[in-house]
Amino acid sequence: MEVNLVVNGRKYTLTVDPKDSLLSILREKLNLTGTKNGCNQGHCGACTVVLNGKAVKSCLIRPKKLEGGNVITIEGISPQSPDDKLHPIQEAFIKATAVQCGFCTPGYIMELYALYERNPNASEQEIKSALGEHLCRCTGYKPIFDAALLAQELLKSK
Amino acid sequence: MSYNVVGRSIIRADAKEKVTGAAIYIDDLRFPRTLYLKVLRAGVPHAQIKSIDTTEAESIEGVYKIISRNTKRVEKTLLYGTCIFDQPPIAFDKIRHAGEVVAAVIAESEKKALEAVKKIKVELVELPFVLDPIEATSSKAPLIHKRNGEYKHLSTFIPIPKSNIFYKYHLKKGDHENVFQEAAVIVEDEFEYPLMNHAAIEPHGAVAHWDHTGELHIWSSSQAPFVVREVLADMFKLSMNKIQVNVPFLGGGFGGKSDYTIEPLLALCARYVPGYYLKFRLTRKEVFIGTVLGRGLKGRMKIGAKQDGIFVGLEAQLYFSDGAYADTSCNVVLAAGHNCAGPYYFPNCSLQSFGVYTNTPPVGAMRGYGHPEGQFMIERLIEQLALKLEINSREIRMKNFLKPGDTNSLGQKITTDNGDIRECFEKMIKVLEVDPLPEKDDRYIYGRGIAALVKSPVQAANASSNVFLKFNEDLTVNISTGGTEMGQGCLTVLAQIAAESLKVSVEKIRINYEINSQLTPYEWQTVASMTTMRVGNAIIAACDKAITQFKNNAALVFNCDFDDLVYDGRTVSYKDESIPLENLVLGYQYEDGHTVGDPVLAIGSSVVRDVTLPNLETGQYQPYEWTFGAQGCDISIEKATGRIRVLHFVTALDIGKVINPETVIGQITGGVLMGIGAAVKEKILFDEYGIMKTTNLKRYQIPTIFDMPDKFTCILVENIQPNGPFGARPMAEHPIIGVPPAILNAFQYATGISLTKLPVTPEKVLECLKERS
Ligand code: FES
Ligand code: FES
Repeated sequence: MEVNLVVNGRKYTLTVDPKDSLLSILREKLNLTGTKNGCNQGHCGACTVVLNGKAVKSCLIRPKKLEGGNVITIEGISPQSPDDKLHPIQEAFIKATAVQCGFCTPGYIMELYALYERNPNASEQEIKSALGEHLCRCTGYKPIFDAALLAQELLKSK
Repeated sequence: MSYNVVGRSIIRADAKEKVTGAAIYIDDLRFPRTLYLKVLRAGVPHAQIKSIDTTEAESIEGVYKIISRNTKRVEKTLLYGTCIFDQPPIAFDKIRHAGEVVAAVIAESEKKALEAVKKIKVELVELPFVLDPIEATSSKAPLIHKRNGEYKHLSTFIPIPKSNIFYKYHLKKGDHENVFQEAAVIVEDEFEYPLMNHAAIEPHGAVAHWDHTGELHIWSSSQAPFVVREVLADMFKLSMNKIQVNVPFLGGGFGGKSDYTIEPLLALCARYVPGYYLKFRLTRKEVFIGTVLGRGLKGRMKIGAKQDGIFVGLEAQLYFSDGAYADTSCNVVLAAGHNCAGPYYFPNCSLQSFGVYTNTPPVGAMRGYGHPEGQFMIERLIEQLALKLEINSREIRMKNFLKPGDTNSLGQKITTDNGDIRECFEKMIKVLEVDPLPEKDDRYIYGRGIAALVKSPVQAANASSNVFLKFNEDLTVNISTGGTEMGQGCLTVLAQIAAESLKVSVEKIRINYEINSQLTPYEWQTVASMTTMRVGNAIIAACDKAITQFKNNAALVFNCDFDDLVYDGRTVSYKDESIPLENLVLGYQYEDGHTVGDPVLAIGSSVVRDVTLPNLETGQYQPYEWTFGAQGCDISIEKATGRIRVLHFVTALDIGKVINPETVIGQITGGVLMGIGAAVKEKILFDEYGIMKTTNLKRYQIPTIFDMPDKFTCILVENIQPNGPFGARPMAEHPIIGVPPAILNAFQYATGISLTKLPVTPEKVLECLKERS
């Protein structure tokens, strides 16, 4: 089947298998390898991207949900030119030492990106429950939670 | 001692690449002429293979090759290993666990390969199976390896032929036959630390390529590229300079990617499609059933003490369910055997540890490597002793902690260089007691528990780290090491060590994380929390040599004695004259063009010294250095749900000089959460047919953010380790060790119930609470 979608501001028309996932389309067809495959079954959150303004687990999204969709991946919020800075959420993850192996990191950042775009004043509870969709085996979560709070602060003071 | 960059929490060297998704992991690599591998797994835990028919599967378009025991050159003799050579890359005559690979399909896509896998017909004759390590030692148990005892093996690991015991370790200290002669009281119990999965968020993957000159190039998510090289060289009778093992960033390891996992099978298969790049990435389910698991202990322990709580003897039998193949677990069995004595002095010990074949996936290294298992036993049992003697368990611990001059279970003398367990313990308790434990209320009961810990790196007696250091013309530095960055932060910490040694700013240092076994110097493997220490020391050695080379060049120019020269990171000076390093880095060039001296290029090594092999009679040997620590927690137990929550978790570790505090704290918070998983959540389960049930991250529950303690405290005690880089000690695995016993001790404090089997799930708690009322 064919699907039209926008990924990180670029338009694509792609021929895909209806059983493919958005994750495999991003990684295998578009070579956007920043989005990670940790389980391919919706349990870990490493594959999280933003679809039409919402954080989704891309491994669970089939092409029929993608027609006309707008997808943002970690590559889309990273510097696009030599003069660009990191996104404040990325800054916060660095400052709070929330990165160890880094495999879960893009997923967390996209989750928070969607959350703060929608609700810059998300409460600690809301933040925690968004982060609760993800698994991290390295950090013990504390640094990630700190990074999320710091990111909110940085975004507000922008 | 004051330092410029050692001791500071500088930003991680790999942070920017990782937050932008630019960091390259195994599955992100792209190759030309790529083919894909998918495998057929046995699906039964124990069987004899009658026949394999791949005809139909082979006729599928897009399938290149199917490899099984029917394939030419797949031989019974292709057994590999490093301690006990008992594992075939693909099943030959027998199936020993349900995830064992029976056939492998190479195709143009994973979809095609999977389609073909489904068409392979296998006839098996099922055999009785055994999962429990104690049952497996009985004479009635099905024999998993008929050839146990005949396999090539290192002399240290003594098998018991005609049984499932592939290694029996017996540590004897003092009067080991009458361990309890002077005991006024004896306590004993049985313990269980189940099989677990490392559950790194990145699944295993690898790519293999045989070129037309006969070289084997492999890219792998491996913690141990040089072990992979050793195993493949032996398997294929290939010279080591023709094997290239490459390692990109790792998405977590925790021991699950150490030694080797999928590489031997992949390399075997790739040999049938020379010139292609063959990619094999595991699904999450395959990570569970087709790599290695961790832990899997059942055991008994007995402590004897005098009336005043002084220990007189320790006896233990530990049985490890080590799965279908023994190799990767041998040293875990050894480590658990001698480390189950914990950080305590026992004049008499008789400690037996058994590595047992069972019909599960093979078991290997897992964060802590034998230490969490044995010390769970002793830290729980001390609480029972305390109740029996009516002495506070803290007092008992304080009385028995190893002190300088004491010998540990191995007969090794403890010195002040090993750090101070008492200081850790007292500091931990002081912090824990700042907040009073809440009184019980309608919803919750509360408990406080503590545990002490000790760990030594278990490493080959000749393990070494080696680095190449290259000074560039602009005075920046590249250092190549075979130490893998799997999240622990070694790139950052090693850069700090190099910058401090060379007296330059850390921005000038790049630790090359791109590992290629043809270019990178030998590194034993990235395990045992040894990278800061062993690679760090190798870097210091290389830096010293580089400084010497700068000075040698300057000595030629000044025509002076080497010893009169001073290097300060910017210049080399002699009396009041100096030459900038820029003018020395490629040797020195005079105005007329002629040169003296050589470019600055150095190597550095750090080889483990004075570690011996276990004595076959007593089990005693000299291991490496030790790290002591203590942990404690406050927990709440929700009466309605049985849920245990950690309110405050305190860890104190004597890690010597802290190189990068935030990195250390990150290891501690991560290790503690993993320990919480072991305490209250994680266990590999099998159904009645011996098939694993917990094969995804929903059924096998690792901690989530909702399991995070309300409060973490990390106390970094810094008694210097003279052998360590700037005085640092190993610390990365350690924070997991005391967590389950501390939590279960808190549970006992709260409920009066002594639990000895992990994990303590909400159902288990509810059961206990019901029984109690
Ligand atoms: S890869 Fe999608 S949730 Fe794990
Ligand atoms: S940093 Fe490794 S999984 Fe989160």
